[in-house]
Amino acid sequence: MSQFLQVMLSGLATGSIYALVAIGFTLIWQSAKTVNFAQGEFVMLPAFFVLVCTKVLALPLWLALIVALAVTVVVLGVLFKKLVVEPILPSGGIPLTIATMALAIFLKESVKEFYGAEAQPFPPLFPSQTLNVFGAVISLQDICNLVVALAIVVVLTLFLNRTRTGRCMQAAAQNPAVAEILGINVRRMVLYAFLINGALAALASFLITPVYLAKFSNGEVLGLIAFIAAIVGGFNQIRGALAGGLLIGVLDNLTATYVTAEYRAALPLVLLIVVILVRPQGLLGTSEGRAV
Amino acid sequence: MLELRNIYGGYGNITILNGTSFRIPPASITTVIGPNGAGKSTVFKAIFGLLNIHSGEILFDGQDVTGLSPARMLAQGVTYVPQGRNVIPQLSVFHNLELGGITAPDQDRVRARMEEVMDQFPMLRQRRNQKAIELSGGQQKQLEIARALLLDPRLILIDEPSIGLSPNLVQEVFRTLQRLRDQGVTILMVEQNAKAALAMSDYGLVLELGQTRLHDRADKLLADPRVGQLFLGGHVEETTSADAH
Repeated sequence: MSQFLQVMLSGLATGSIYALVAIGFTLIWQSAKTVNFAQGEFVMLPAFFVLVCTKVLALPLWLALIVALAVTVVVLGVLFKKLVVEPILPSGGIPLTIATMALAIFLKESVKEFYGAEAQPFPPLFPSQTLNVFGAVISLQDICNLVVALAIVVVLTLFLNRTRTGRCMQAAAQNPAVAEILGINVRRMVLYAFLINGALAALASFLITPVYLAKFSNGEVLGLIAFIAAIVGGFNQIRGALAGGLLIGVLDNLTATYVTAEYRAALPLVLLIVVILVRPQGLLGTSEGRAV
Repeated sequence: MLELRNIYGGYGNITILNGTSFRIPPASITTVIGPNGAGKSTVFKAIFGLLNIHSGEILFDGQDVTGLSPARMLAQGVTYVPQGRNVIPQLSVFHNLELGGITAPDQDRVRARMEEVMDQFPMLRQRRNQKAIELSGGQQKQLEIARALLLDPRLILIDEPSIGLSPNLVQEVFRTLQRLRDQGVTILMVEQNAKAALAMSDYGLVLELGQTRLHDRADKLLADPRVGQLFLGGHVEETTSADAH
């Protein structure tokens, strides 16, 4: 029982970080109909921004985090939109999707070239103590990661639903033609979605890299898992992406502990196939009508 | 009130409007009719800043508003209700309505208008917390019209309001438009259901190949054999300058 609790909690903690990345996927999909296959690299990169700030510029960690967040929002939010999405989107979704794959390789190889191929230790944001709760040994870091990630999701959801700007973003995503005739600045709303995606990627990076270490290839697995989490939960719903992320985090840990660690990498793929066969719109998603 | 002077425009290189000209008076309902592809909806897009206008001018209350963005047109007092379904599906009825006033500088005024508009359309108040997608087609259309009223528009462009509505609801929508007209709002409408629309309108305008063929009092157009011919799929043979104004 105590082991189960431990496994569940650490699964939820990792899953909540997957969820942040998956939510970014859905935001970009909803607002710009772009499937960003560089999403994993978007999470890999901010950790290196932090390392550059702390090691090269000798900034304290808190300042490094703020600078890295800001740089990520500019580079992976604004520049990604202006230099990759806007020029290529008019040619269609497939060319853009392929371009994001190319971007993934570019980011990965650049980090390898300019920073190094070795995994780098990354300073933990939270003390690495353990707590003893009813006999279960629980990592404080897991709890903090889970709390912070869920808090980010709650704040984002409140922003999208409770503020006028958030609702304008929803309008621009759900029906851009109508949003325009209502006088909403659709381009600006799309830009906000890219900024938020950049921020989510940075925050996910800060939370997960202390566990995984900073490595140029981190994005490969992360991007795939987050993509699957978004599909499993429902690509067009934030709560779907959240559910998908948590589900994969927990199932992954349960499989590794109680079945076999050998097949844990296969599990998200199996889940993906099952969901696509049984419920193609995702667990919480709504099917999107295709415009004829 | 609204005047189009020799408008040429279209999508990309395709020209749909070939010198469209007409003028509509304030506090009136004008219905635009014409065969498919005549450019009826395109005229609305041209007025509302959603179309590439190659040449010509659009005047609203004597001011040149040619090519102004939708946000600027809203500020001028013009709203547009396009064809088909135009709600934000996952937002509540209340928040859909609120978006109609999103560009207004005075949001307290918008709140007050929302209450007034919900008095006019009690269904919206009953369903204010439901998602817009859960409304029936007719209810969604009412929501769109209500949303278009939030900014106290002086001109409403409404495209095919009867599509997908039951005959009863069509009459209700028409009555709403007439009530607005009586309050001083000008209405320019495109309607497939030409006879019923002309019967409730003050003026009618026949558009063909992006040009105004006929423009007269609605009752005269209804009695005009050339218009009858048009309903049967024919063409208006000769160009008549029947501009009533």
